[in-house]
Amino acid sequence: MTNPEELRDEQLVELCRQGERHYFDVLVRRYMEKAFRIAFDFTRNTETAKDLSQDAFLRAFANIKQFDGRSSFYTWFYRIVVNLCLDHARRQQRVGWESLDRITEEPGEHRELADSTFAPDQQAIASEAKRRVDQTLETMPNKQRTAFLLRNHQGLSIADVAKVMKTTEGTVRVYLHRAVAALRQSLLELV
Amino acid sequence: MKNAMPLQSACKEFEEDLVLYYYGETSEDERRRIGRHLFGCLRCQGFLGDLQRLLPQMARTEELPQSFWDNYYRETVAKLAQQDERKHWWRSLIPQMKIWIVPAFGTVAMTVLVIGLLFGKGNLSSFTLRPAEKIPHEILADENQLQFFESMDLLESLSKLQSQDEQKPEAVNTQSSRMRFQSGTV
Repeated sequence: MTNPEELRDEQLVELCRQGERHYFDVLVRRYMEKAFRIAFDFTRNTETAKDLSQDAFLRAFANIKQFDGRSSFYTWFYRIVVNLCLDHARRQQRVGWESLDRITEEPGEHRELADSTFAPDQQAIASEAKRRVDQTLETMPNKQRTAFLLRNHQGLSIADVAKVMKTTEGTVRVYLHRAVAALRQSLLELV
Repeated sequence: MKNAMPLQSACKEFEEDLVLYYYGETSEDERRRIGRHLFGCLRCQGFLGDLQRLLPQMARTEELPQSFWDNYYRETVAKLAQQDERKHWWRSLIPQMKIWIVPAFGTVAMTVLVIGLLFGKGNLSSFTLRPAEKIPHEILADENQLQFFESMDLLESLSKLQSQDEQKPEAVNTQSSRMRFQSGTV
């Protein structure tokens, strides 16, 4: 008997499609961290990221029979996660701005950047840089942000990002460059 | 981002290439071309250095404890099980149905039979279809055609009678002459 953990994604999906629900648990274990990280990159909120990424697993399982195997499971699944995050961002746009305001008022949120070994002015600059990056990502067009987060934060190749976003690699390159340019611009102003 | 400094600008025609170069998304030929340019361009070297310094920091996330992931996994699996149960809720009824479905079906059948006998007084014809409902459509069409021809005959007869009324005097004369002819007086 093969250990389920050793099975490939496609094999696990096929078993799930045959009604063996418990094999989906292996996929949950395999992708839960990545799913959560994507959702967190979009939402910057642990609880929301948890809810959205769990919801993505529920949707993936409910629609497992629609997965045609033309793409890999993870690009199909990432697409579900990203779409849920973008839907959430659209619904919560106003709330998102309020959260951002709250973050800017709470320097403690940037503690991972503001190292205590640095002088207070350096910490302040680091904190401001972080705030600007977050704000730029928040206000960036969804497609640029998605391309940037999937490539830079999740480490997906441009080919996979294109599959997740259902677009061409050339378009992803353009999105990526624009996102980096926008982030660079936000930091250029920090003098 | 500890040393937050403004990014240096690159040569315009190399800026996009340098972003892809940083991510390792260039072909071997492009990589060599960019490498040659970088060798002699301090601005692009500075730009690439900034990307290498800042972009990984943007991606850095806080490490979460193992208990968070254990809890996450347990919750997700429980939610999946709940969803699966909701989807197949009717399956849970099958074992219970197996126990009482035969007596229930028998009771319903007996009730229907008793009601039928009591109210129908044994006259089963009330349960049968009326003759008109039993006639197939094709035959019904023929019957309609028959009624149509009968109506036409009736109309024809009426028009004949009407024309006879109009020609009555002439007809009377004709009849009397015919009578005379039959009696041999002509």
